[in-house]
Amino acid sequence: MQFQKEVEIAAPREKVWNFIWDVDRFIACVPGCKEAKTIEAGKKYAATMVEKVGPFKVEFPTSIEVLEREELTRIKAQASGADNKIGSRMKVDLDVNLREQDGKTVLGFIASVDILGKLAALGHGIIKRKADQVLDEFAQAVKRRLEGDS
Amino acid sequence: MLRRFRLEEPESVAEASELLGRFGDSAKVYAGGTELLLAMKEGLAHYERLINVKKLKKLSEVSADESTIKIGALCTHHELETSPMLQQKLPALHKLEQNVANVRVRQVGTLGGNLCFAEPHADPGTLLMALGATLVAEKSSGRREIAAEDFFVDVYETSLEVDELLTEIRIPTPTENFRSAYLKFGYLERPSVGVAVAFNLNGGGLSEVKIAVGCAGPAPRRVPEAEVLLNGKSKEEAERTLSQAGESAGRASQAISDLHGSQDYKEHIVGVLLKRAFQSAVT
Repeated sequence: MQFQKEVEIAAPREKVWNFIWDVDRFIACVPGCKEAKTIEAGKKYAATMVEKVGPFKVEFPTSIEVLEREELTRIKAQASGADNKIGSRMKVDLDVNLREQDGKTVLGFIASVDILGKLAALGHGIIKRKADQVLDEFAQAVKRRLEGDS
Repeated sequence: MLRRFRLEEPESVAEASELLGRFGDSAKVYAGGTELLLAMKEGLAHYERLINVKKLKKLSEVSADESTIKIGALCTHHELETSPMLQQKLPALHKLEQNVANVRVRQVGTLGGNLCFAEPHADPGTLLMALGATLVAEKSSGRREIAAEDFFVDVYETSLEVDELLTEIRIPTPTENFRSAYLKFGYLERPSVGVAVAFNLNGGGLSEVKIAVGCAGPAPRRVPEAEVLLNGKSKEEAERTLSQAGESAGRASQAISDLHGSQDYKEHIVGVLLKRAFQSAVT
């Protein structure tokens, strides 16, 4: 599943960039993300993703690895996790990019998400819809957080 | 394989509601179990407690008077498909119930359970919307009525509060001029698209047109965009407008692409089914 999202933030690019690397504040914007910790600053992180669709609840202990980093411009990362209780795995390839536009910063995400195992039985349409909602909420939370205290 | 759980057997709706309120997300109402137990056996969902409501016999009653048909939430699909009263007063719902899933599901699955589980590819919610049904939700501190169209929130999600139980489905008793039909189409176990249509037809033409689409998107929904195209029209005018109304209903259905068909395909089927459902309702 491919996802693409852009959000325009009324804040300088440096501020947005620094915010992304401030793990605690950044993670607070990711819906369902808890227990985030830094394993190796700038490279490896761990978190638990909890999501719910009606009666179905998944909990993915997730490891996040930063693969490429281009200062103030781009981050390429990979996240993967498994929920052993329901026998499902997920893998996310994430491309985050920043650019300036009319004095604002455009924060863009391109995510490629693979879901394997029983969770996939819920159906592609439902999972895609849920992931879209999560990404939307996340983008809006980042925007609020950065514009709110600028 | 089912994991261990505790079975609670309340003797009243108030007691069931109190249990739901006390245990929150770790408890779930258990009626027919045709959806819930399947999900639990697959390991997709787990609850520490199941609250068995099957012994609340009052919730299995069906009655009708001049104004309202009342169906207890615990009525099984089989009870409804064999109800002479339903066959006479609401043939569209009677026919729908005859075609829910398969005989094993109909034997134990309940109408209330079907609605509360809010599986997107279910039939009854769609027709109940077109029939103008209201759903009665009860908890220990009171009861309220929810319009069928306000009941479904999203995939597997309803507007019931955590300690509320669906106890009854109320449908206005049809008048002589009332027409309704529900049609579905699919090639997998569950339908890809379901369309319900209901209206009053008299000398002046169509009035109070209600059209609902289910299965195509995350939850069944009314499609007022299509209803206005038929409302107030004569039968002949409405027939000429059906293609346009079908396209409009398809676009408004919020169809999503999945194994049951692409968005375009489902939108097209909505149009086809609307035409056929309309013809079925008027004949």
